[in-house]
Amino acid sequence: MIVVIGVGNDFRRDDAAGLEVARRVRAAAPAGVQVLEHDGEPAGLLDVWDGADIAYVVDAVRGTDGPGSVHRVEVGSDFRLHWEPRDSTHALSFGEAVALGRVLGRLPSRLVLVGVEGGDFATGQGLGPEVAAAVGAVADEIVREVGG
Amino acid sequence: MTHRSDRTLRVKALARVEGEGGMLVRTRAGRVEEVRLDIYEPPRFFEAFLQGRRHTEPPDITARICGICPIAYQMSSCNAIEAACGVEVPQVVRNLRRLIYCGEWIESHALHIYLLHAPDFLGYDGAVEMAADHREVVQRGLRLKKTGNDIMEVIGGRAIHPINVRVGGFYRAPSRRELTNLVPRVEQARDAALDTLSWVAGFDYPDFEQDYEFVALRHPADYPITEGRIVSSGGLDIPVPEFEDHVVEEHVPHSTALHARLDGRRYMTGPMARYNLNADRLPASVRAAAADAGLGPRESNPFRSILVRALETLYACEESLRLLDAYEPPDPPAVDVPAVPGTGHGATEAPRGVLYHRYDLGEDGIIRTAKIVPPTSQNQAQIEDDLRRFVEPRLDLETDELTHRCEQAIRNYDPCISCSTHFLDLRVEEA
Repeated sequence: MIVVIGVGNDFRRDDAAGLEVARRVRAAAPAGVQVLEHDGEPAGLLDVWDGADIAYVVDAVRGTDGPGSVHRVEVGSDFRLHWEPRDSTHALSFGEAVALGRVLGRLPSRLVLVGVEGGDFATGQGLGPEVAAAVGAVADEIVREVGG
Repeated sequence: MTHRSDRTLRVKALARVEGEGGMLVRTRAGRVEEVRLDIYEPPRFFEAFLQGRRHTEPPDITARICGICPIAYQMSSCNAIEAACGVEVPQVVRNLRRLIYCGEWIESHALHIYLLHAPDFLGYDGAVEMAADHREVVQRGLRLKKTGNDIMEVIGGRAIHPINVRVGGFYRAPSRRELTNLVPRVEQARDAALDTLSWVAGFDYPDFEQDYEFVALRHPADYPITEGRIVSSGGLDIPVPEFEDHVVEEHVPHSTALHARLDGRRYMTGPMARYNLNADRLPASVRAAAADAGLGPRESNPFRSILVRALETLYACEESLRLLDAYEPPDPPAVDVPAVPGTGHGATEAPRGVLYHRYDLGEDGIIRTAKIVPPTSQNQAQIEDDLRRFVEPRLDLETDELTHRCEQAIRNYDPCISCSTHFLDLRVEEA
């Protein structure tokens, strides 16, 4: 089973990048590929990627390479996303969800994190031009990889 | 033992929100000199964003304010808009709203109990470390949480930011069969909730009884979730539209957050407040479970809020089973809510406390102004006061230990940091 999970918030501008990728992949991916839009807390990821052979998680990220830059990380045993163990009063971080999945044996066989750097996370709708362009490229690449 | 009477405790890790905020406690000569807590981004940007929108849009838009409690935002906004338009929705719709809200309580409380707060009590850095030693316990918590998500998904269309909720009711009523299919899972969840209650009843609680003013909704018959008057342990008893006559949000100099005060006083909202003001509205079976777990008729130690959350999780499971058993699909699934110029107010009990919305609609049904007062801004002043009182008698603790205990005290309130954005800060480290 292949699952593509777009994470984000449609009302926080570039934070919608992951959701937009999911929508484009859904429109073009072959039947059997599960495509989900996920905009809640990361512990829920354990349920949606449970049992998957490959899971893509596509999310907006904040980084230093500029809006629209794409970072692809194979989340294997020798990589970990930087995370503060207690960085929220309110939810797990993505890094914690991965670590928890690892401890509980609830990671997909292969987990690919695709981060699209955003520039504007203010309240509002619409992606910036660089992010919108990156979203198309990321979606095309994933569709190609899943056999669309 | 090193005695340091002048110290500054900082929890930068709480300041996950775009680089701002966190906790700071400064002591001098054995006294707490300053407490600052700035963990919350108010939804004022969303209030501005709602201006100029149609009266049917708030449930979809405000659901995005919080990834943990979208239903609370949807339900408070529906109540407010329907009140503005003078529409009362039928009981069958209200029952379905209560059921999806129970799903959110189960999901949110299970997340907080198992993955956020229990590690504090058991001496772990976090859920990951606790799961390594208590794998089955954490799995039980995740199953419980997932059942809450399942209820939200079957009724809401999606577990997170449900798309089936609208002003006036639902776009589509789930069939009886769809809901009946949930019953075995909710029965298991009820058992898991009972086990959860026994588990947390065995934790050690610091001695920290305080004299709080509690604020919660109160309903003539039910434990409050989706409706009720606003009452307090200090004698307040008002209908929802009078909320802003008594509760005023103030800017405080050190923070971007707002602190709400009730007639000038700080107060507590959330599970402890609900329980203290409404324990008589719980069914006998849940009251018996409370007694077995050692919960008294009045609880004023905020560290015991984890016990109350466990009890409310049990209640939400039992209430879900009752509502599932009695379910008749509303037909039609929603009533029309034509726009009427005027003002409407709505309040519901989000997992972490009273969530108030107000909307002013113009002649054209367009939103002129919106006001949202979430539970965390109401609790903010009380959390700071707790920290002040908690730290002073414990200054003999090492700084790391004391900082940890302060974090635990903050988590008593399950405060909502800005969670409307979920982007990651990307720094990949090779192991």
